[in-house]
Amino acid sequence: MAKRVIIIGGGVAGMQAAITLKKLGCSPLLIEKSVELGGKLNHWDRLFPSGMKAKELIQNMVDEIASLNIKIMLCSEISEIRHEGERVEVGLTDGNAFEGEALVIATGFELFNASVKEEYGYGIYENVITSADLEAMFSEGTVSTSTGLPPRSVAFLHCVGSRDLQIGQPHCSKVCCITGVKQAIEIRELLPECQIYNFYMDMRMFGSGYEELYKKAQETFRINFIRGRISEASETADRQIRIKAEDTLLGRPLKLTVDLLVLMIGKRAAVCNKTFADNLDIPLNESGFLQAKDDFYNNTATRHDNVFIIGTSLAPKTVGEALNDASMASTRIYDYLTRNERQL
Amino acid sequence: MNKWGFGINEKRSIDLDKNSPDIADRVLRDEPSLRLCIGCGGCTATCSAGNLTRFNFRRVHHLLRRGEYAALSGEIDKCMLCGKCTLVCPRGINTRNVVLSIRKHLSV
Amino acid sequence: MMNLYFEPFIIPFCIGVVVLFGVMWTKFISWISRLPKTDKRLILKNAVSSATFAALWEVIRECLLHMRIRRVNLRLWYMHMSLAFGWFLLIVVGRIEGGIALGSLMNPPYVDVFFRKYFPYIHIPGFGFLMDLILLFILSGLGLAVYKRFNSRKLGMKRTTRLKRTDRVALISLWCIFPVRLLAESFNSALFESGSFLTGSLGDLFALIFPTIALYYINNLLWWCYSVVLGTFFIMLPFSRYLHIFAEIPLIFLRAYGIRAKANPTTFSKLQIAACSRCGICIDPCQLAQNNLTNNTQSVYFLRNIRDKEQSPDITDHCLLCGRCEQICPVGIELNTIRISSRHLQRAGEIRFDYSYFRGTDLSAGEGKVGYFAGCMGQLSPKTAAAMKRIFQESETDVWYADSEGSVCCGRPQKMAGNLDAARQMTEYNTSLFEKHGIRTLVTSCPICLKTFREDYRLPDIEVLHHSEYIARLLETGRLKRNPSSKILTYHDPCELGRGSGIYDDPRKVISRIGILKEAPDNREHSLCCGSSLGNTRLSTPQKIQIAKSVTDTYEKTGAEYLVTSCPLCKKALGRTSRIQVIDLSEALFLE
Repeated sequence: MAKRVIIIGGGVAGMQAAITLKKLGCSPLLIEKSVELGGKLNHWDRLFPSGMKAKELIQNMVDEIASLNIKIMLCSEISEIRHEGERVEVGLTDGNAFEGEALVIATGFELFNASVKEEYGYGIYENVITSADLEAMFSEGTVSTSTGLPPRSVAFLHCVGSRDLQIGQPHCSKVCCITGVKQAIEIRELLPECQIYNFYMDMRMFGSGYEELYKKAQETFRINFIRGRISEASETADRQIRIKAEDTLLGRPLKLTVDLLVLMIGKRAAVCNKTFADNLDIPLNESGFLQAKDDFYNNTATRHDNVFIIGTSLAPKTVGEALNDASMASTRIYDYLTRNERQL
Repeated sequence: MNKWGFGINEKRSIDLDKNSPDIADRVLRDEPSLRLCIGCGGCTATCSAGNLTRFNFRRVHHLLRRGEYAALSGEIDKCMLCGKCTLVCPRGINTRNVVLSIRKHLSV
Repeated sequence: MMNLYFEPFIIPFCIGVVVLFGVMWTKFISWISRLPKTDKRLILKNAVSSATFAALWEVIRECLLHMRIRRVNLRLWYMHMSLAFGWFLLIVVGRIEGGIALGSLMNPPYVDVFFRKYFPYIHIPGFGFLMDLILLFILSGLGLAVYKRFNSRKLGMKRTTRLKRTDRVALISLWCIFPVRLLAESFNSALFESGSFLTGSLGDLFALIFPTIALYYINNLLWWCYSVVLGTFFIMLPFSRYLHIFAEIPLIFLRAYGIRAKANPTTFSKLQIAACSRCGICIDPCQLAQNNLTNNTQSVYFLRNIRDKEQSPDITDHCLLCGRCEQICPVGIELNTIRISSRHLQRAGEIRFDYSYFRGTDLSAGEGKVGYFAGCMGQLSPKTAAAMKRIFQESETDVWYADSEGSVCCGRPQKMAGNLDAARQMTEYNTSLFEKHGIRTLVTSCPICLKTFREDYRLPDIEVLHHSEYIARLLETGRLKRNPSSKILTYHDPCELGRGSGIYDDPRKVISRIGILKEAPDNREHSLCCGSSLGNTRLSTPQKIQIAKSVTDTYEKTGAEYLVTSCPLCKKALGRTSRIQVIDLSEALFLE
C-alpha cells in the first residue's frame, strides 16, 4: 500500500509536492484552508519576468492533480499536529484527523499589511493602493483612481514592509523589485501617456531575465527610477497623493504629486509558523520564517526525518524557487519512505 | 603641472588616504546603529529642517563616514532634534543621538 | 556662670556638632542667598502667609513621620520613620529629662545626650522607661535597615542603592550609634542601676558576667565610643547623603513659597539634590530598570553622581524623562527638570544650533480663530490629522493649520536634550507666528508640544489646549455629538500629557462618551511610558521595542478591542508591538 504523506497548504508549492509524490508512488493528501487550490497566486494576474498568466499555471497544476487522482481536502483548517516517531497525525477544526508517515509544510506567507506604515496613508487615502490591489486591477483589465479615471501619473514605492527594522521585518522580500518593474511596464502598456516613477533603495535584479526586464523598463517603457525612499504621503484637495522623498543621488528633498501611489508590499512570515515551531520544535528566524536544517542539501529538511518545509514558509521566494523546493522535498521524502526496501 | 589643460581637480575628490576616521570612529562608538544606514534618504525626506535648508542627514552621515568633517560643521547646527527621522528610518538608527554625538565631537 | 560639665570624652561629639552645623549652615545660606531675584521676591511675598504653616506641617509629616513613603511601602516607611522620628524623640525627651533634672533648659547639649553617664543616680519617674522604649523603637528600625542593605528584596524593593566611601563611613557610624548607646547605657546600669526594662535587664546580665572593675573600664570605653561614633557621623553628615535629613526642611519651605527648579539651574536645584535621601524608591518604577536596559542611570544614581561630581552623558542622557520616579519621589524632587538642566550644562560649550533660516519659512496666509498644531510626530500620523480635520468640520470650526503654513518644531525635544538656547529660538519663532495670526485658541495633538506651549511659551492671549481637552469640550457643549457604543477601549496615558501636564480626565471623558473604558493596572499617574520618549537619546530601536512590548502586554490583558492614546509618538511606539489596534483619541470618535 502506498504510503500516506500529508501536505499542508495548497499553493503552488504544496500542489507541486503532491504531484511529484504521487508520481513517485506515494499517496499524498493535500489540505487547503480556502475554497480552491492555488494560494496567493489566485489573486495575482501575471508572473515575472515572462508575463505568464498566474491562472494558466494554476490551471495546469490543478488539472494534473485531478488526473492523478490526488486526494485534496478544501476548506480545511488544521487544529493540531502530533509528531510521534515515524507517524504524523493532523487534526482538523471540523474534528476529522488524518495520519501519515511524512509531513510537508507548505503554508506560505502573508502579505504585509500596509496600514501599519501609517505615514504612507494606506487605508486613509483612496489613491494609495498596494501592489496586490494593482494586480486585482490588472486582472479586470483597467487601472483607475478613486474617481474611476485612468491615472495620469503613478508612483511605485519599493520595500514597504521589507528591510524595515522598525516593524520587525528585517528581511528582503525578494520579489518586489522585479514585481515593481513588471507592474510599471504593465501600466505603461495600458496607459501610454502616464508618468511612471519607481522609488527604490536598491534594484535587486538577481534572477534570470530580471536585469533584462529592468533595462527594457528604462529603455522601451520610459519608466523613471528615483533612488530614494518615500517618507510620507498626504492627500491634496482633489485627492491626489503628494509624496515626500529624498532624491538621494542629488542629495535634495523631492516633492511629487501623483494620481496613484502603489506600495510594493513585502512578504510577512505566516502567523501559523509559530504553531509549527512550537508543536514540532522547529526554529524560527528573526522574521518569523521557519528554519530548515541547513541552507544546502537539507534546505527543506527539519530535525525530524519525515517533516519537510517548502516554499515561502521558509523565506520569501519566487514561484520557481517554491516549485524547486517541492521537488527537492518530495524526492527526500521518497528516499525516507523507501529506506527499508532499499536496504533489502 | 598639468600640461594638457584637463584632469582631475584634486580638491574635488575624497581622499581616503588622507582623511582621518577619528571623529567618525568616536561617533560610531557612541551610536553603533549608524552603521546600519542603507542610504534610503527617508530621514532627509521627512526632515523638518531639510525642507528649509541644505541640512541633509543622509549626506551628513556620509560626509562623516568619509572623514569630510569640515563640511559638517555648517550643517549639523540646523537640526531641530524633533525625531521624525528616527521614526521614519527603516534601519532604526538612533539619529538624534548621532546628531548630538557629532556636535559633541566636532566641538572639541 | 553656667556649668559647662566638661569631660574629655565629649570632645569628639562636640567637634562633630560644630562641623555639622558650621558646614550645613554655610551650604544652606550660600544656596538661598544665591537664588535668583524672582525667587527671593517669592520668599518675601509668601513667608508671612499660611504657606509657612502648611510647610511646617509638611516638615512634621515628611521629615519626621515620612508619610509619603508610607504610601509606597509600609516596611520601608517604618524603617525611615523609626530612625527619624525615634531619634527626634530621643533628643526631645532627653532634653526634657535633663531640663527637669538640672532645673534649667540652658544646659549644653551633651549633658542630655550623655545624661546617664553624667548623672547615673538621678531617677525621674517614667523617663528611664520612656528612653528605653524609644531606643528599642529606633533599634527595631535600624534592624530593618541593616537587613535591607543585605537583602533588599525582602523589604518590597527589588533594588537598593549602591554606596560611595563617604556614605559608607557615615552609614557605618550611623549603624553603630544606637547599638553602642544601648551597650553604654546597659554597662552604666550594671554599675549604677540606672536603666529601665531594656538597659536595666541587659545591665543585670553584664553585672553577672563581668567583675566590677571590668564593668567600670568597659563603661568608660563605651561612652567614649558613643561620643566618637556620634562625632564621626556628624562630621560626615554634611558631606554624605545624610545631609538630606536637614536639607529637606528648607526645601519644603521654599517649595511652599512657590519656588521651582529651572532648566537653567539655580541653587534651588542644589538644595533639591542635597535633599535626596537615596531611599531608592525611584529605582523600581524605572522602566529601564524593569527591562534590564540600564542599572546605573536611575534618578538616585544620577543625583548621587551630581553630588559626587561624577556626571557623564552616559548617565545623564539615558533617561526617558517619563516622570514615573518624580511622581513617586517621597521628597518631591523635580527630577526631570534637574535632569534637563544637567544635560544643559554638559552641552554648554558645544556648537550653537543656528536657526536663522526660520526667517522666510512663514508660508502662512489667512486667519482662523483656532490654530491647529499637529506637531512633527503628528505629521507622521495622518489618521490623527484626518480625524482632527473631520472634527473641525463637524463642529464648524474656523481653523488655521499651523504645520502646513510655516510653523517649526515646538522646541521641547531640544529642551529635553538640554539645548535651551536652541529651544528658545524655536519658541520665539513660533510665538511670533501664532501672534501674527491672531489665534485665540491653539489646539495641538502632541502632548510634547502642549507641555512646552504651556510652560515655556508666553502666549497671554491664546488658550492652549490639547486635542483631548478640546474634543471633551466640544462634546460637553454639544458642538460634537456621539452616542455610546458597546465597544471596549483601554487608554494609555502619555507621560507628557498625564504626569507632564496633569491631563487625565478629559481623554477618559471622551472615551466614555463613545464606548466602555477598561483601565490597565498601571494607569493615570502610574501609567507606563511607551519607551520611545524623546527624553532618552540613548535607547536603540530594539530596546524601545522591548519596552513597548512590556507595555502593550498589560493593555492586551484588559480584553479591550482598541488601545486609545492621545500622543502620536506613543501611538507609533505601541503600534509596533500591540496585538490590539492602537488608535488616537480623535480617531476613536469615528470608529464604526
